[in-house]
Amino acid sequence: MSTFTVLSKKEFTQQVRDFKIIWLPLVFILLGLTQPIMMYYLPMILNAVGGVEGITLDPSLTKVEGTEILASTLSSQFDQLGIIILVVALMSIVQNDQANGMMAFILSRPVTVFSYVSSKIVSHYVLVVVSVWLGFTVSYGYANYLFTTIPFTKMFLTILLYSVWLLFVVTLVTMMSTIFNSQAFIAMISLFVLLVLRMIVGLHPIMLLINPAGASVRAASFLSTGEIGDGWLVNILIVFLLVLLMVGYTNYRIRKKRF
Amino acid sequence: MKFEVINITKKFKEKTAVNNFSMVIHENECVGLIGPNGAGKSTLIQIIADILHADQGDILLNDKKISRMKREIGYLPQYPNFFHWMTAFETLLFMGELSGLSKLQLKKEIPILLEKVGLARDVYSKVGTFSGGMKQRLGIAQALLHKPSFILMDEPVSALDPIGRREVLNLLQEIKKEATILLSTHILSDAEEICERFVIIKNGMKIEDTTHAQLVNQNKEQAIYLTVDVINHRWLQHLANQPYVQKVVKVGPKIKVNVGNMEEDKRKLLHFILKQDVNVNSFEVGEKETLEEIFMKLVVDV
Repeated sequence: MSTFTVLSKKEFTQQVRDFKIIWLPLVFILLGLTQPIMMYYLPMILNAVGGVEGITLDPSLTKVEGTEILASTLSSQFDQLGIIILVVALMSIVQNDQANGMMAFILSRPVTVFSYVSSKIVSHYVLVVVSVWLGFTVSYGYANYLFTTIPFTKMFLTILLYSVWLLFVVTLVTMMSTIFNSQAFIAMISLFVLLVLRMIVGLHPIMLLINPAGASVRAASFLSTGEIGDGWLVNILIVFLLVLLMVGYTNYRIRKKRF
Repeated sequence: MKFEVINITKKFKEKTAVNNFSMVIHENECVGLIGPNGAGKSTLIQIIADILHADQGDILLNDKKISRMKREIGYLPQYPNFFHWMTAFETLLFMGELSGLSKLQLKKEIPILLEKVGLARDVYSKVGTFSGGMKQRLGIAQALLHKPSFILMDEPVSALDPIGRREVLNLLQEIKKEATILLSTHILSDAEEICERFVIIKNGMKIEDTTHAQLVNQNKEQAIYLTVDVINHRWLQHLANQPYVQKVVKVGPKIKVNVGNMEEDKRKLLHFILKQDVNVNSFEVGEKETLEEIFMKLVVDV
């Protein structure tokens, strides 16, 4: 068995023992539930709590589409609280091994740095994708049930596109986890970079092309308007390129530690 | 098997941790790498284990670079840390598979190995519950797992309490019979117990490479050892003032007296003592010098 498989298997077992494999999907399922249910009951809550004076929006006037609800699950739940939770869940993946000497210990075996890094990224990416897909599927079900029907293929293509952005998130946090020694610092820097990237997407059209968060924005807009936007392929390729660069740099950092 | 360290130099910024260090170790030798704290022992061991890169020099095992021979090396770090959520069995399975051993083979061999290191009852216990000595023994088990031809240990007993230390030393005595070992330590008596050959390192440089017998022989010093009831300082002073006495030192409960000519002077000394009003319990001529004293002489700058 290759060392990559052995290391990935170990990561998987660790996720099971840490219950990460339970709580991470659970968190995303809850996040996925929040948006459709909140939007569904919001008018009633407003009715019950709000007074009659001042400006009121008549909720019955705006007909909300299921696709819009699902799109806002991505943009207002997954891309905000979701990202924070992902960063916290991933921040120690390499840092921990470095702090307690496990990384050096593992590398004293015939294991390449690349198979170590890639096993970290792949195993956690799989967990993240499964969690997010589960959450998104639940959100899809509720949006379908409480609002209007959404075509399955549309939902599937959306989450596929969103997973490209997730790959960027996982790789970025892994890289930060290699560079810095303090968990708090890793979390802060990663969150800062990710949230800023997500925020500046709308500033200029060029952002949709070169910003990895473009993949997330395109996914949401594809769902609500059916438009994926120009240059989506270039955008995806740039994300993959950035991921490769980050993997390369992570490798380099670990190797450099030995000099 | 032949293991060579050739002109290894390693600098950390300004500080030179290992300086032009060379040595050769042959099959079935057990070598103790001794030096005070900060002498460069761990750095050297880590370079050999290919965890650190040397600035200069080569490490060869059977004439091949060590980075290509990792399968042949069993390495025990100074503080072996394992994943606390793994059991002893899982830890060895994981480490073994990383070395490319088959699962089937490992499943057969791990219980035997754990038995050997005295962890037979803890095969399925979580490593998180292990004591320091048990972790060290598990560390030794993982170093032996892939049957390496060369075993490298960084301070295998320094961090243990007397019981754990004894357990590990006994285990090392066993292992020594069938493997080549290089271990580092700053505790002389441990090295003395396991190894025949010592390499003494100081400030990153090799200052001595000898066997136990040679070391004691070279540094042989004849002296007279006295024990008396009550050590009186004025009497000691008086003793030191005798023309034939070179030096008087108190060594624990004993008084060590160096003289110029042992044959003649020991009579004179006896006469002198008998005339004094002291109760002598023992009078012996010895060549005793512990490895520790020799080590101190070699390593400590006076």
